[in-house]
Amino acid sequence: MGETEEFIIPVGPQHPALKEPTNFTITVDGEYVVDAKARPGYNHRGVEKAMESRTYIQNLYLLERVCGICSICHMTNFCLTVEEAMGLEVPARANYIRTIMHEIERLHSHSLWLGVAAHEIGFDTLFYYIWRDREVIMDLTESISGNRVNKAMPTIGGVRRNISPELLRDIRKGLDIFEERIKYYKSLILKETTVLNRAIRVGVLTPHDAVALCAVGPTLRASGIKSDVRADDPYLVFDEVPFNVMTHDGCDVASRVIVRCDEMFESINVIRYCLDHMPDGPIRVKVPVIMRVPETETVCLWEAPRGELIHYLKSTGGTTPYRYKIRAPTLGNIPSVQRMLIGNYIADIPIVIAAIDPCFSCTDRMTFVDVNTEKNWVWDSEQLRRYSRKWYQQNSH
Amino acid sequence: MVSTELALKVVEILVFPGFFFLIVYALFLEWVDRKFFARLQNRYGPEHTGWKGILQPWADLIKLLAKEDITPAAADKIMFAAVPIVYLAIPLTIMFMVPIWNSNAYIGFPGDLIVVIFLFTLLILSVFFGGWSSVNRFGIVGGLRAALQMLSYEIPMALAAVGPAILAKSLSISNIAAWPSKVFAGNLTPYSVAVGAATVFVMAVGFGIFTLCMIAELEKIPFDIPEAETEIVSGWQVEFSGKKLALLRLGSDIELVAASALMTALFLGGPLGPWPIPPVVWFIVKTTICVLIISNVRALFPRFRIDQMSHWMWKNIVPIAVLYIVAVEMLAAVM
Repeated sequence: MGETEEFIIPVGPQHPALKEPTNFTITVDGEYVVDAKARPGYNHRGVEKAMESRTYIQNLYLLERVCGICSICHMTNFCLTVEEAMGLEVPARANYIRTIMHEIERLHSHSLWLGVAAHEIGFDTLFYYIWRDREVIMDLTESISGNRVNKAMPTIGGVRRNISPELLRDIRKGLDIFEERIKYYKSLILKETTVLNRAIRVGVLTPHDAVALCAVGPTLRASGIKSDVRADDPYLVFDEVPFNVMTHDGCDVASRVIVRCDEMFESINVIRYCLDHMPDGPIRVKVPVIMRVPETETVCLWEAPRGELIHYLKSTGGTTPYRYKIRAPTLGNIPSVQRMLIGNYIADIPIVIAAIDPCFSCTDRMTFVDVNTEKNWVWDSEQLRRYSRKWYQQNSH
Repeated sequence: MVSTELALKVVEILVFPGFFFLIVYALFLEWVDRKFFARLQNRYGPEHTGWKGILQPWADLIKLLAKEDITPAAADKIMFAAVPIVYLAIPLTIMFMVPIWNSNAYIGFPGDLIVVIFLFTLLILSVFFGGWSSVNRFGIVGGLRAALQMLSYEIPMALAAVGPAILAKSLSISNIAAWPSKVFAGNLTPYSVAVGAATVFVMAVGFGIFTLCMIAELEKIPFDIPEAETEIVSGWQVEFSGKKLALLRLGSDIELVAASALMTALFLGGPLGPWPIPPVVWFIVKTTICVLIISNVRALFPRFRIDQMSHWMWKNIVPIAVLYIVAVEMLAAVM
């Protein structure tokens, strides 16, 4: 073989390995990946703009729908942001209940991811088993909040539902079952050579690259860097709860699996601690129905299952936010995934992309730049109208 | 008289053990495979069409036959249309050389084992052309992977298949299938029992190798590399739709029958068994067991990567297959 020709494989926006709309343009040489470019922006829903015309209470439920998996994260982080802007003091019990919901969501997100990862390497049996056992956590979520996906549990000033003593018992029982199953799956994955062959030294991200490319969450921690918002900048009750930041220095897909498994055990311990130490008392403080947030700017960080989630609020004293910005963790991981893909095989693309636990429906809210022309794509309606008129004049014959 | 014989021949080709029986049986085995695989994965599998979903493969086939058939504008039209037909015809041809309802195959002749192995190779060639002629990126990658995969499993497959042929001193599949019953008919002496036990052990190794190669041939997990759903969508099949896809699916079902029938004929004594049960029942029982083995392997492993697969085949399976042939030769000498 003399010179190699460029052969480009598109992965997404419709691809069975990538259940969400984004596009990776992969240049391959035979089975090797030579170059990878990510192109998000297929799922722009205008959430941030929509927020500016809604009241804070309405926004609560809009924000819950940013992501189907980490709905509690977005919702509670919004509550924290608004509460900080208003100077609201939330009852201690509410904070504990929020923490429990937050960590249960991490359990369900990580176990979902573990199943998806198994599916990506073609191990559907493991996928079905993990998702069956994940139902334990989904049932807990349902019995706590009444819902499985959009929980509508936190609200500005506290939470909307209390946890009864009987429920506490159920949660403990569910956690015991779940912990045992995850222990089994972790040992199984670490023993099964056919799985390890697909995970070890695949999608390597060196610690230096991880920091330079701003990786977040388990992806960063799997490169051996100890960074977790819960420990670095504690919110809710994480300053009281003892827990470890789990890291692994393998820098590959296998260590991302290990980090997520270990995080699940830590989350279970956090929930158990919260269940034991939950104080009695009210679960919410009253806030006026028509809320006005004083003129201010607030930023709240949050450790979502996928990594660092940033919410920013600018208020001008009205009943609606002046500007609200969400930086979802997947956006932080896209540069790293481009780096990870290079040098791997085509067969590794799904698992490497999946290893950052991508969630593009969370991510796609920003205006973006067309890579080919390096031009900004944002037009106001007048420009757009002029362009369309011109286009039709040229092409209407 | 001649016309009656002719009519009988036509019935044999069209009904039993010909096309009708093969298609019904292939769709039945697909159901067995799907149901068993689903139960191993803690799912239910087909449930609603017929008893426990037994008619689901029929429903899928009929539905696909009725669907729109799209040929990509850039595709090589003739080759694209020919591949599904060839892909269906080759396993059917193989089935006529494998004994089903008595010790003789329908068109058995000396040396048909070589022809069957050649036809299995031809099948992968049609897969490659299917991927290539569709001019789809995923299709081309899938076709290339199929060809690469063939290079790694073909040699152990041929070696494993030749083992029983050496012992039976024949290259005819029918003779190989009839061979075990002849051996077991002999009188028992300590010497013959020892040789028999050694033969069973060596043949078990050969059966294992042959099963692995058949899984690769059938493109099932862990060797479903050419159609890896999560990687290259469905590989070489990606552009086929409607009638063509229906033919491809039927072809791969009949391929499953052919693979299990060949496993049965070479290593499990073909359709022959103890007397009161008719051979065709033995055939169905034995091939179903082979399909269950394949389904079980499917549920146990993740997909290999193409480089891992060829490394593994060349480093482990090929040496084992060579040692197996040496052992078979030694057995043939002492027998």
